[in-house]
Amino acid sequence: MLTFTIRRVLFALFLIWVVASAAFVLTRLAPGDATFVDGPLSSDTQRAAMRAQLGLDRPLLTQYGSWLAGIVRLDFGTSLLYTRPVGELLAERAANTAILATAALLLATLLGVPAGIYTGTHQGGLGATLTRGISIVLLSTPSLIASLLLVLVATRTGWLPPGGMTSMAGASGWVSWLGDVLRHLPVPTLALALPLAATLERLQSQALVEAQARPFVAAARARGLSAAEALARHAWPASLGPLLGIYGLMIGSLLSGSFVVEAVTAWPGLGRLMVDALVARDLYLVAGAAAAGASGLAMGTLATDLLHAWVDPRVREGR
Amino acid sequence: MNRQPRTLLTLLLIAAVAGTAYFLWRDLQGGGGELRGGIGVEGPPARGGRLTVTLRSEPRSFNRLTSGSSVTDVFTHLTQGRLVRINRATQVLEPWLAERWEASADNRTFTLTLREGLTWSDGTPFSVEDVLFSARAVYDPRVNSVLASTLRVNDQPLAFTAPDARTIVVGFPAPFGPGLRLIDNLPILPRHKLESALDAGTFGQAWTAATPPADLAGMGPFQLSVYEPGQRLVFVRNPRYWRTADDGTALPYLDELVLEIVPDQSAELLRLQAGQVDMFQQALRPEDLATLQPLVDQQRVSLIEVGVTTDPNVFFFNLRDKFWERDPRRAWIGRRELRQAISHAIDREAFAEAVYLGAAVPIWGPVTPGNREWFSPNVPRYPYDPERARTLLAGLGLTNRDDDEWLEDGEGTEVRFTVLTYRGNQILEREAALLAQELRKVGIALDVVPIEQNTLIDRMVRGDFEAIHFSYFATDLDPALSKDFWLSSGAAHIWNMAQGRPATEWEAEIDRLIAEQSAATDPEVRRRLFADVQRIFGEHLPALYFAAPRMYMGVSARTRNLTPSVLRPQLLWAADTLAVTP
Repeated sequence: MLTFTIRRVLFALFLIWVVASAAFVLTRLAPGDATFVDGPLSSDTQRAAMRAQLGLDRPLLTQYGSWLAGIVRLDFGTSLLYTRPVGELLAERAANTAILATAALLLATLLGVPAGIYTGTHQGGLGATLTRGISIVLLSTPSLIASLLLVLVATRTGWLPPGGMTSMAGASGWVSWLGDVLRHLPVPTLALALPLAATLERLQSQALVEAQARPFVAAARARGLSAAEALARHAWPASLGPLLGIYGLMIGSLLSGSFVVEAVTAWPGLGRLMVDALVARDLYLVAGAAAAGASGLAMGTLATDLLHAWVDPRVREGR
Repeated sequence: MNRQPRTLLTLLLIAAVAGTAYFLWRDLQGGGGELRGGIGVEGPPARGGRLTVTLRSEPRSFNRLTSGSSVTDVFTHLTQGRLVRINRATQVLEPWLAERWEASADNRTFTLTLREGLTWSDGTPFSVEDVLFSARAVYDPRVNSVLASTLRVNDQPLAFTAPDARTIVVGFPAPFGPGLRLIDNLPILPRHKLESALDAGTFGQAWTAATPPADLAGMGPFQLSVYEPGQRLVFVRNPRYWRTADDGTALPYLDELVLEIVPDQSAELLRLQAGQVDMFQQALRPEDLATLQPLVDQQRVSLIEVGVTTDPNVFFFNLRDKFWERDPRRAWIGRRELRQAISHAIDREAFAEAVYLGAAVPIWGPVTPGNREWFSPNVPRYPYDPERARTLLAGLGLTNRDDDEWLEDGEGTEVRFTVLTYRGNQILEREAALLAQELRKVGIALDVVPIEQNTLIDRMVRGDFEAIHFSYFATDLDPALSKDFWLSSGAAHIWNMAQGRPATEWEAEIDRLIAEQSAATDPEVRRRLFADVQRIFGEHLPALYFAAPRMYMGVSARTRNLTPSVLRPQLLWAADTLAVTP
């Protein structure tokens, strides 16, 4: 298990390096640069001076080399857009994204997995059909529409804040702050979690149907286990494989931030920062945000791989 | 699946889609139809209260000298002062931190007298040293200020001196028509906060968006109290602000002004509808007018018609001869008859109706009726006349020589262009699609390619494009302050930038007229010269304009004392006199 873990950690680090480097190089090579962010109003001379000031006039390899050397010292460079350290900007937003991602993942799991077990074990019934219908609607609703609908409901009813992460009045003490954040969480969390819950429901249902058809479940029933016991002790654990695989990707995508949901619900997360950085060709911030996203993906994949290896010895033995 | 659940599922899906559509239609479309009432918000201003305004993006910096972003500009309007101010509503130059000024006989030297007893928001006394410091900072090459080029005359900086403790003398290197209007651009910054950074060569990194509010100081009506990244900026009244209302009330009226960051325009609209914000920073989209109409009827929201935009969208060909030198279209691409034909081929009334739902006026040049001071109605107009367009094109040898729907020249080259436009800008994409559709009727093919803004500008600056349709923001309404656009050597002479010498005779003539206009001080002479510029522009059409939208701002009914302007920031430029009902 230790060798497996080390191998996976090394792969995760490699993945982060490749993604961040690719983001850096591609942003640097793309047409336009940070000096165009305010439009074509400056002259060539001014732009040249700005490029020199921002270090954009150096050759790509030199720039990449010094950026990489900085990374070793945990210095991700200075954002060209905000003239602030990238690490500082990322830390500010990554924590917000992590809060939202955790809430969305929890909610999606709590809704999706039980719903999938239900539809997987009640094939053809009215309740299962309704649940599946709802899942299909949720899966086919674009996140922009879903987010806007939730904001619409929040603004119309006044039950929940329609956006932001904290209210303007501010909070004194962390308990009060936490309460404030919890009040703001439902709208973006639902916008992110509902399609994920639908995905989990569909996967869980399908995997459970397949698992129930496996011979060892029939054998368990033949040994005298009740349907519920056979489900809990044999069919459901066996159906977790495909589900765990998708979790890695879900965690990764959630941790790298969702631009649409963050923009509509005004959640100050990584997604918005990344898009602003891309539009402005802020290569240090793009690379930093890509590294943060890749770290999320790597962590998600690593966690699910380890979990998978833990529940299935064939995985850790490389079979 | 048996039949009953399948039917149920189908019904469920239909019900969900229909329900969603109805919900969206009812709440997002509103009453529709013609715009009614609600123009202007009246009522006496009262002191106190909080106004909440939305912003679409984050402040990148609090330093206006180094950031040209619109959010930084808003921040500066709220927190900083200037010596003189152009009243954005009347276009009149007003005394501000300087209470009066005198011009020398040759209009090259202006002597300004500062108000007495002014203090910065942190209590430090304001002095002429702050003015000299601000001038030094803006022209310091290490700062590379985004404002430096706008504060030059004939590429020379202005000279600022202070003969005594209340007097500032501004010397112009040459006669300049707009005179002191030029320095409306210069925010006066606190020397006691920023001089060390300027001396150390780190002014570019000073006053970033991470700077604690306590380290900022200003002469504006508000001071920053809290910045929550990604969420909001909270401003409170600057208790040391110098200005009072006519009745002696200390300004600003508001206790607090909050800028809520809401990146999505639809979410922004929902918040206004729900009464959670009082106004937006940007003008409403044409389709939002009908959405807000029910709230206008209920007197919960007011629609303010700010005026016709002064920054209309523009379509232009690449007129750099070098770009086309190996292209078979070279023989006719630069001919003005082609552009005139295109102008004739577009029904501007229909264009305004289709793109802006009627909330726009047809235009024939870059200066719109919104620019009341400088707009000339006497420019060549090209009425909608597809037949005339075909005749002009035939005169260039462009006729339909085969069975398809496109024109060809004598060599068989199709009249087809690639038009770049900003991706994600719905109005531009809609306009470009409409242009392609209309020009198809006269046999011209436009292949519209939406690309990212940064890439488009890069290609424009490098001259690597066939045609572009985009939005260009003029730096100022006064042509002498937008010379980059008009002069052939200008960095914003979009169809053929930064020419060493004028490529055409008519551009040389415009250069001459703009130089003369810029140096003239008689307003009538300046207007006449600029009318000539507009006429020549209209004859040669280096860039084509079709419609200028009327700008509407949506504000909550509790907002008072608005002074709208066509210039940005349309409502916040006069934030000190904004008020809300208690």
